[in-house]
Amino acid sequence: MRHVLHGEWTKLRTLPSTGWLLLALAVSTVLVGAATTGAVDTSHCPAPAGCLEDTTRLSLTGVRLGQAAAVVFAVLAIGGEYGTGMIQITLAAVPHRPRVLLAKAAVVAAGVLAAGTLGVLGSLAAGRALLPGNGFTAANGYPPPSLADGPTLRAAAGTVLYLVLVALLALGVGAVLRDTAASVTVVLTLLYVFPVITRFVTDPDWHERLDRIAPMTAGLAIQTTIRGAGPPIGPWTGLGVLAAYAAAALLAGGCVLAARDAN
Amino acid sequence: MKATIEVSGLRKRYGPTVAVDDLSFTVAPGRVTGFVGPNGAGKSTTMRMILGLDRPDAGTALIGGRPYRRLRSPLREVGAMLDAGAVHPGRRARAHLRWMAHSNALPVRRVDEVLDIVGLSGAVAGRPAGGYSLGMRQRLGIAAALLGDPPVLMFDEPVNGLDPEGITWIRGLLRSLAAEGRAVLVSSHLMSELEGSADHLVVVGRGRVIADRGVRELLSAASGDRVLVRTGHRQEAMTVLARAGAVVATTGCDALTVSGVPAERIVALLTGDGVPFSGITEHRATLEEAFMELTRDAVDYRSSRTEAGEGA
Repeated sequence: MRHVLHGEWTKLRTLPSTGWLLLALAVSTVLVGAATTGAVDTSHCPAPAGCLEDTTRLSLTGVRLGQAAAVVFAVLAIGGEYGTGMIQITLAAVPHRPRVLLAKAAVVAAGVLAAGTLGVLGSLAAGRALLPGNGFTAANGYPPPSLADGPTLRAAAGTVLYLVLVALLALGVGAVLRDTAASVTVVLTLLYVFPVITRFVTDPDWHERLDRIAPMTAGLAIQTTIRGAGPPIGPWTGLGVLAAYAAAALLAGGCVLAARDAN
Repeated sequence: MKATIEVSGLRKRYGPTVAVDDLSFTVAPGRVTGFVGPNGAGKSTTMRMILGLDRPDAGTALIGGRPYRRLRSPLREVGAMLDAGAVHPGRRARAHLRWMAHSNALPVRRVDEVLDIVGLSGAVAGRPAGGYSLGMRQRLGIAAALLGDPPVLMFDEPVNGLDPEGITWIRGLLRSLAAEGRAVLVSSHLMSELEGSADHLVVVGRGRVIADRGVRELLSAASGDRVLVRTGHRQEAMTVLARAGAVVATTGCDALTVSGVPAERIVALLTGDGVPFSGITEHRATLEEAFMELTRDAVDYRSSRTEAGEGA
């Protein structure tokens, strides 16, 4: 297994797209986070303290875009092999197919973990720099987001995990569909369109139920640091929902990979 | 491990099409086995099943007695080039070989060794494979096959896309790999491509084995021991040779085709009886002729138009 991992790592490392996509992940997370944070200030609330703004969550908004890079990155790790026919060389070198998918999952997760950590730390730093200027000061009841604070640390680490799980979900879907464009479309639809559809459901019970099973909405519950804000699901339970999606996709991908002919 | 490929009773169907139909043959070490048949005869499918890429509907394919999927470090046991285009265009050739080496715990110095063998060393190996010509990709594919220094090698249409110099090179390479005691299987849809490089031939058509014989055997069978005799004294020559038990036919005003008696004996007979002749040539069939001879009776191998014409 160690050698298979080494091979997959070398494979990932030697593609130009890897660096660009991971850079895009980190940069877009920080930029969108900073832009959103910069656009919100306390002046729209009757009193600054009454805004009830979750500043940590606000600072980490950028992952909603950054995750798209993680999706493309993970799908390419397997879809690119089917697209070029290289999958046959991979499976001839490592006939134990579940091992191939596990190794891919490990190296994709490692890449997203690194880039995601950079993006999240950058977003929090940007938040700390921008929030006070918009009225979110400690005096108004908004201490700057700090990793020393339990809920903020949970939100930060959880957001990195969120990105990793989204990537694993994408890898699994890629292994099932074996086509880059189709897989990216399916995963992005699942992430972005699900919440849009939910918005059109007026029945409050159903609305809540859908929010609890939408992978992005539920998964991002991990970013909630103040009571009452965010989706109707606990932070870790929400991330668990996303983890279930990722596990199911990887399992399905592993079965398809093992059962079907390699082309 | 014994360096062999043993295919027995292999069968594969894609939807309504039977690609490989009860195929059995063995690739022995120390010789080049040509795997010949027209496009669509099931050659690539068979190779894919040997490599464990496609699952056969029936039958087995064994490498040194074991199925491919059970090999611990497969690149050390079988080297294969199936599709030279199957590389990521964005990855440099050297990096492509390096990940393969890592995945099978092969020494990384092998990467430069095999690049040298196929003539891709230096700056070329540092370029993305997407910019390679078909011939260069073939060479990269061959380098990948040689990476683990395996005793069994398989090449699917390796001559495709190579220039004349490349073709000569690959023939020499195949011969030397076999001379080192390796089992080498090379497919081609053109019999003539294998002339001079294959020792043994497995001829397939429509997923079945039509012939499985040594090249020399095949050629002499197709040649039919025929000898061409040029003489102005046809009548005397015919009498002399017929008396010795030869079957003689006139093939021109001063030419006879003789079979059943070897050339040396013909010379002795004619000289003994004082019949003048100007030339004696042994007829040598080409592989292409041998191929035609072989497939003449294999009705299911002919084109559909011929079949319709014969009402087959």
